[in-house]
Amino acid sequence: MAGTVPLSRRNILTDRRRLVISVLGVAVSIGLILLLEGLWGGLRVQVSSYEENVGANLFVGEKGVRNFLGEVSAFDSSAVDELRRRPEVKAAWPVNTRFIVLDFHDRKQAAVLVGSVPGGMGGPWKIAEGRPVEADDEVVIDRALARQHGVGLGETFEILGRRFRVVGLSSGTRAWMLGYMFVSHDASAGLLRSPGTASFILVDSEDPAATARAVREELGLQPLSPDTVAENDRRLFAGIFGGPLNLMVIIAFAAGTLIIALAVYSMTVERLREYGIVKAMGARRGRIFRIMLGQTTALAALGFVVGFGFYLAASALITYALPQFWSHVSPAVVAGVALAAGLMGFIAAFVPARRVSRLDPASVYRG
Amino acid sequence: MKRVPVGRRNLFAERRRALLGVAGVGVALLMVLALDGIFAGAMKRVTAYIDTSPADIIVSQRGVKGMHMTSSSLPLSAVEDIRRMKGVSRADPILFETNSLKSPKARALSYVIGYVPGGRGGPVTITKGRPPGPGEIVLDESAASKLGVSIGSDVSTLGRSWKVSGFTGGLTNIVNTTAFVRFDDYAAARGTTGTASYILVGAESPAGAVAREIEKETGLTALPRPEFSREEAKLVRDMSTQIMQIMTIAALLIALAVIGLTLYADTLARLREVGVMKALGTRTRRLALIVLSQAAWMAGAAMALSIVLAFALAAVMSRAASNISIEVTAVSIARVAIGAGVVAAIGAVAPLARVARVDPATVFRRQ
Repeated sequence: MAGTVPLSRRNILTDRRRLVISVLGVAVSIGLILLLEGLWGGLRVQVSSYEENVGANLFVGEKGVRNFLGEVSAFDSSAVDELRRRPEVKAAWPVNTRFIVLDFHDRKQAAVLVGSVPGGMGGPWKIAEGRPVEADDEVVIDRALARQHGVGLGETFEILGRRFRVVGLSSGTRAWMLGYMFVSHDASAGLLRSPGTASFILVDSEDPAATARAVREELGLQPLSPDTVAENDRRLFAGIFGGPLNLMVIIAFAAGTLIIALAVYSMTVERLREYGIVKAMGARRGRIFRIMLGQTTALAALGFVVGFGFYLAASALITYALPQFWSHVSPAVVAGVALAAGLMGFIAAFVPARRVSRLDPASVYRG
Repeated sequence: MKRVPVGRRNLFAERRRALLGVAGVGVALLMVLALDGIFAGAMKRVTAYIDTSPADIIVSQRGVKGMHMTSSSLPLSAVEDIRRMKGVSRADPILFETNSLKSPKARALSYVIGYVPGGRGGPVTITKGRPPGPGEIVLDESAASKLGVSIGSDVSTLGRSWKVSGFTGGLTNIVNTTAFVRFDDYAAARGTTGTASYILVGAESPAGAVAREIEKETGLTALPRPEFSREEAKLVRDMSTQIMQIMTIAALLIALAVIGLTLYADTLARLREVGVMKALGTRTRRLALIVLSQAAWMAGAAMALSIVLAFALAAVMSRAASNISIEVTAVSIARVAIGAGVVAAIGAVAPLARVARVDPATVFRRQ
């Protein structure tokens, strides 16, 4: 025989409308998986934005504390002075931090309140508009959070029963759904009724290892590197959102597989006579499976390409309309989803292949 | 004369295709039901401590209307002020913060509640062991299981170690669990004097009127317990609404593709039969009704499948992950059913257009 007949390609291209519907269905599933993975990636990046940008090379918390977000750390802030006396310590600043819930225009918004000493370390690392906090009734809020709730410079709102005026908008200061709000350390101590305490001390040390040893042995506090705190916070959020997110990814994967199987099965059923001829001509089970696999993987590949386009569009739209969600997929994740699409095609090929393998070649000669 | 249910017969004539289609739509609808269920479960669990509390009114720092992801601090002297007020039968302070429970095996994020023994605010039920004595702690049993601790074991939180004296139940949600210690122990561990986080108030008069009076007299925030619970649930709802909408749209688009694909494939396979029916005088309207009834059957069957799968998933998750509770509610089912109906109607458009264009003369042509 001169060559192999490209049955897979011909079958799949016969009915263009069906091909379009099938590809769109698979693409939505793959786009959704990419979006879920993108939101997950965005969460992992954003959740550690404070630790990675604030400028400290050592975080000092209450003994046993591992997270900057989620758990409360509180200890006597006099430890700041003791740290400042150490020769290798270039700077040490106390910060207070708590989750708070605000009512913005009858909508609830959780935020991370950070109280830091004006001019010291711990405040916003990038001011997009306005200026940093100087007085105890001023606040700098995350720009995306401000946009989300229509809050502008000069406006006032209540935090834990006290009014604050917005003097600055910061950028890159989000922890996924949560936005950061920065006030002075004294203001936070008043709001939290915790004078003389700190949640963390941010340290810039020339020898972080020596400082960490002193923190543990002399002060009885918990030294943590920014990388450790960041990883602990990522783990904390992964524990909360990982279960539901993985469940959604599995369901989207199942839906995509079923769509591919359905599309190729429908095409197969309509061409059973032709497959009977193929079998009568001596095609074995392996050849039949390869024909099916050719169709299912082609659908999966097209679905992946279109799905990636859907993801880019949805991601841009979400980032524009809902700035609190940031989506980020690494090349490794894209490759993983491409593999998942291939797996969808592989699994889906079994359903029509089984139908054809049970077909009696003699059926082709019947009317 | 009794009408032949052509739509249903057509749909289920090719059983495997029908099964794949129904499964595809069912899985897509399951995505919405599961996500709805996870958030409904989270809302119920997040408010479990408040909902089971014997308090009629909950008093908090001004501007604070919940416990989840927030903190509240108020002067302990307010307890005596409230106790003296008309219509108040009792007032009990609690201390509260979110912290980590640590055991040698694991960590768990937890509400830690300090309550006055004999007062309101402690665990409503003790499933095993006894309430906490000095230096002791009561844990939720699912958290105890995660931490690998039993009665008599040590866990640490609030910067010190505690001995487990008993277990309570139903107070672990997707984010955190709940633990109880004595008020005085909590205050000593935190080094706080003269402050409380919340005051749980019993009312002899209507709670709304008493709460307003407390707010007027103390300047604190006072809400009847059901309202406080609604505010808490609103936080979860407000924070999750947008992500829910994104997922719902994606899931319904997948369902749309599957329904459209199934009906379109089925219509293509039966174009000759449609031609025969047209040649016999069947009006296009009747044929349209047949396609629509196929769509309705498919959506109905998929809906039933998704409900069964959602309940099965809820049962599996309750065993596999005790912190994730899936609550399949009637409201959620109704919402998804409406979505499925709309999607089925849209999915029928392409097949309807194809049916409308069929020339009755096709029946006389050879295939």
